[in-house]
Amino acid sequence: MLVVGPAARSDSPQARPDLSGVWEVTFGVRTRPGPGMPEQPSLTPEYAQKLADFKAAQARGENQETPQANCVPPGMPAIMNQPYPMELLFTPGKVTVVIEAYSQTRRIFMDGRKHPDDPDLTYNGHSIGHWEGDTLVVDSVGFTPDTALGPSQGYRHSDAMHIVERFRLTAPDTMEVVTTIDDAKALTKAFSATKVLARHRDWDIAEYICEQNNRNLSTEKGKAGIILNH
Amino acid sequence: MKSFPHRLRSGALSLTLALAMVPPAALAHHSYAMFDMAKTVTLQGTIRDFQWTNPHSWIWIDVPDANGTVQQWGIEGMSPNYLERRGWSKRTLKPGDKVSVNIHPLKGADRGGSFLSVTLADGTVMRQSGGPPPSSGPVDLTPPLRNP
Repeated sequence: MLVVGPAARSDSPQARPDLSGVWEVTFGVRTRPGPGMPEQPSLTPEYAQKLADFKAAQARGENQETPQANCVPPGMPAIMNQPYPMELLFTPGKVTVVIEAYSQTRRIFMDGRKHPDDPDLTYNGHSIGHWEGDTLVVDSVGFTPDTALGPSQGYRHSDAMHIVERFRLTAPDTMEVVTTIDDAKALTKAFSATKVLARHRDWDIAEYICEQNNRNLSTEKGKAGIILNH
Repeated sequence: MKSFPHRLRSGALSLTLALAMVPPAALAHHSYAMFDMAKTVTLQGTIRDFQWTNPHSWIWIDVPDANGTVQQWGIEGMSPNYLERRGWSKRTLKPGDKVSVNIHPLKGADRGGSFLSVTLADGTVMRQSGGPPPSSGPVDLTPPLRNP
């Protein structure tokens, strides 16, 4: 029986830095803008107006709360910036990101496929990846405009949002992720930010059923509520 | 809040300090719009229930008011996922425990708040950060930026 070792694959963990395991964003290091990139998204006039409308509603007492209070996951890019860990699983042809917050999963196809010509629009998008030296490069499209671009719900993105993430080790248990976002409809230019994650070798991803005992709520107009009966 | 009974010690924190104490996990789930983040209140009472649940733990505590009438307060804390990695367990608080809890109270008259710390009967103080994590990695309570 001929056994072909996984090292024969160009995307195998043996051939590349080991990025597998449970990682948590280190908010002590803080997300920071990438080199030469603006700190805030630079919005087109149409999307600047959306932000202005959002802020005007906020001034009226609306839009104080996000859909996440109702347990709606934030989608990309915010789902990668949660204060809960994520696990990177490397299997032949695929990287799976198991995200504790909102029990989300991203599948990054490493088998050479392209994005669909007309992808369905989803919260976490369609992701394909490849290695560039020691860096895992993930390219994602196909996002529903139901989710926010960030940093607040007033910053919207379109169905043209395109995200490139570059993952690489900077120390044995430290990973840097440079995220660059462009959106021909919403942004006048791409913006980029860098975050640092710490690997916790003794952690496991835990269950997170947001609907279990959620006492927070957001009304249709984004007003905050809380349920105190017990 | 003038409606607070005398057993509740109320003191305003500086805005800077209050923001520094904002735990990151709750930000993932909801805003703090309903809490008075500039105010800290201490509740002294008896644990009625400790809900070890997602997306938040909830401390239910019976607190006597100025007239001696026991009032129930609901205190929202971090998720078990976050707390368990920082020294807490489902048994950290038990019904009947006499405790003192610091909170940011809800705006308005409802008896609820956002958890800051609890002092147990033996004097142990438990914060959400719970001290150093069980493995390497920096710990910081500054709120995360929600854009990448």
